[in-house]
Amino acid sequence: MIASVVVTLEERAGPVQDIIDEICNLAGVEVGDFAPGAHRIPMVIDSPSANAIEETTRRLQDCHGVAFVDVVFVHLEDESEPSIANSPEGAHE
Amino acid sequence: MNGDMTPADAIQRRQFIKATAMAAATAVAGGTVSPLPILADEPKKRIEWDKAPCRFCGTGCHVQVGVQGGKVVAVAGDRNAEVNKGLLCVKGYHVGSALYGKDRLTKPLLRDGDGYREISWDEAIKTIADRIEAAPERFAFYGSGQWTIPEGYAAQKFMKGGLSNNHIDPNARLCMASAVTGFLATYGVDEPAGCYDDLDACDVLIMWGNNPAEMHPVLFSRVVDRRSRGEKVTLIDISTRRTRTTEACQHYLEMKGHGDLAIANGIAHLLIKNGTYDRRFVDSFCSFKAPDDENPSLHGKAISFEEYKKQLEPYTPERVEELSGVPADQIRMLGDLFGNPALKITSLWCMGMNQHTRGTAINSMVHGIHLLSGHFGTPGNAPTSLTGQPSACGTVREVGTLSHALPGGRDVSDEKHRQQAEGFWNVPAGRINPTPGYHTVKMWESFCTPTSQGGNIGTIWVQVTNPGQTLPNLNKLFNPKGEDKAGLEDKFLIVSDVYPTATTRLADLILPSAMWVEKNGVVGNSERRTQQWFKLVDPPGDARDDCWQTIAVAHELFTRGVDGMKDRDGRFLFEVKDHDKPVPIWEWEHYYDVNVDEHLFEEYRQFSRLKHKDLAPYSEYVKARGLRWPVVERDGQWHETHFRFSEGSDPYVEAGKEIQFYHSSTHDDRAQIWFHPWIAPAEVPDDEYPLMLCTGRVLEHWHSGSMTRRIPELSRAMPGGYLEINADDAADYGLRNGDKVKVESRRGSLVIPVWIDGRGQPPRGSVFVPFFDETMLVNDLTLDAIDPFSKQPDYKKSAVRISKVS
Repeated sequence: MIASVVVTLEERAGPVQDIIDEICNLAGVEVGDFAPGAHRIPMVIDSPSANAIEETTRRLQDCHGVAFVDVVFVHLEDESEPSIANSPEGAHE
Repeated sequence: MNGDMTPADAIQRRQFIKATAMAAATAVAGGTVSPLPILADEPKKRIEWDKAPCRFCGTGCHVQVGVQGGKVVAVAGDRNAEVNKGLLCVKGYHVGSALYGKDRLTKPLLRDGDGYREISWDEAIKTIADRIEAAPERFAFYGSGQWTIPEGYAAQKFMKGGLSNNHIDPNARLCMASAVTGFLATYGVDEPAGCYDDLDACDVLIMWGNNPAEMHPVLFSRVVDRRSRGEKVTLIDISTRRTRTTEACQHYLEMKGHGDLAIANGIAHLLIKNGTYDRRFVDSFCSFKAPDDENPSLHGKAISFEEYKKQLEPYTPERVEELSGVPADQIRMLGDLFGNPALKITSLWCMGMNQHTRGTAINSMVHGIHLLSGHFGTPGNAPTSLTGQPSACGTVREVGTLSHALPGGRDVSDEKHRQQAEGFWNVPAGRINPTPGYHTVKMWESFCTPTSQGGNIGTIWVQVTNPGQTLPNLNKLFNPKGEDKAGLEDKFLIVSDVYPTATTRLADLILPSAMWVEKNGVVGNSERRTQQWFKLVDPPGDARDDCWQTIAVAHELFTRGVDGMKDRDGRFLFEVKDHDKPVPIWEWEHYYDVNVDEHLFEEYRQFSRLKHKDLAPYSEYVKARGLRWPVVERDGQWHETHFRFSEGSDPYVEAGKEIQFYHSSTHDDRAQIWFHPWIAPAEVPDDEYPLMLCTGRVLEHWHSGSMTRRIPELSRAMPGGYLEINADDAADYGLRNGDKVKVESRRGSLVIPVWIDGRGQPPRGSVFVPFFDETMLVNDLTLDAIDPFSKQPDYKKSAVRISKVS
């Protein structure tokens, strides 16, 4: 499953590179191009499942210096799991 | 993986999707606006992208919908949309999955003993027509702010222009009716003067009982993002409990229920006492009003400035502190902010002020302090209500799917208004019934009362809403339908929906509906923005458009010779022609031979000009990401309006007027500044029921959860209902997280797990329960007391008691 997000950094977050280095340690996260001094950083999350995307998004939110994580794109097909329509979790009982 | 794809293809495809995803994020992060990159080089199947507004709240974010193989496979925030500038909230980016829950309704189902049997659409339509034909005056239509504009318009015309029956009302009665009456009482016309641009310009944003961080997150992030860019914006949260909004605010003013009435009066008191009100603005553009206790009406009685001042005298900061619980110093802070003309102040509100037995009053009063202080009519200075549904404004308020209203802000009780509508509809004079129908609470009360006891609503058709979960006091207004000995055997409930719900549970006839991009649509968001989309995928099974369902029933009645389904010339009420030849749109296989939405919209558009809410031709909305009305044509172009009543922005303000309230209820271009006294809530805690229950929504689920609970990611994030309780109260009751409690009110009870402090850290003496979980129906407990003018119930203040369940 693939999603992309914009991570907004806090006003006084400290050196941007330190934050980016921490983010780059998260599995499946690819940081895009951004201008020097930018506080909104584009990223792609490529994960094997919807669960993993959620977990990565939560971890991004918890990173030092991160104010917000806004999702801007999501590819709904999850090729590692049954489709949503057939998932046992597709509806609550 | 697609079966016809090689591993190499799959890798290549994944790279293309990633490239698209990164391009979308880069463009949003950089603030650039450009078309969404298409997966043009992708092997095999290509994703087709089109635009649509999000299906959920009233913010009106636009999404780009990616369709492949007849299925929605991707969603992206639309960077060309002014509302969301490419961003989506957690619900928005999962909106595509709402189509694909495994238990979509796909066949019409008729109750058969304790179960249901599948029937044909033909039998379903005839069954509804039988019920209506047998007793048209006992039929009611219950819809929502999720009706698209054409759907709501068709239902409205069917009822009022066809059946001469005004028993049509929406769930928006439970949601924003008090906002409507507040606008009408103040300006003589409904809907906000400002727009979301105010969020980009204000210096101070005050949220009155409002939690946009969870309910309208994209709007809230738009403001908070300004701060992250170094701009100074002061955020103030006035609320009965903390929320995620509170976390981002510099000031949190915790009030008691109905404390807002005292706070508004306290601000007005200080503005006058300190001489900081805007005398020029008030003298030029405002008058004063107070309730007329002898003859209560929405327009009250005129009072002088001196009388207004005198009424406010008791509302000193100290007295307001006693009434509201908000410290006097914080009341002074608010007074100082409103007294500072250099600041630009925007107020936002939603359910906290609307679901309130004095909802009309508090809405009017917040408008009043903006007018009194002159914080009105320039960018960043606006009192703005938000709506919770995608077309509460477009359909309910503008099309007027309310029991007293006609399209275009007209009333059934006004002869001239009826004549105008009869003219547009080409129906015989006198067709429209002059007596308002039943509002929501009265409609359901009548339905749940035996016919022998005066319960004169016999059949209700529900479309696009879930009253079995969302009505207040369900044990009075809904649940009796399912009781064996309630004496309601002759009552008949028809429900059109996409999934089984708490409402379909008691339905006699269930109709499977198409949703969102499975049909064409037009909606109107909270900032007067009208938005259009086209059908992109087919609905599952035999699911069909709600609008088609209405037209098919109308045509069945027409074939039976029911006069109401004929216009003055004897033609079908919903006749649509293509090249001068009628198209049988009541037959599903021909429904999309023409664009029925466009036809209905263009007919409805005539009404929009009656109260200066002009809409552009349908084709203009096809090109745009929505346009804010009034939309007027100048120099061959269609222009939207950012700020109503302001010269230079609103085309209907006369030159030299600066501000002109051209629908003033006093016919002098003035708005009304209201005094209303503080009054206690309809129910307050006592020895028997010592806790105040507030209900509401959560970030992960939209309203009753019938769509979002079927999205696995959202369901996992917030799986079930809970009772939030203050940690000290929990200790007093001997409760730990996860313990189950029985919650009881005078109307019902509920067993539910405890979450100590939860997200809201409710103050001592109060608890909170969200209403999204249909397995824990909190509205079994809530009060059905209503505002006297808007007829909207208060879901925020019900007295309850709790006991631990072993």
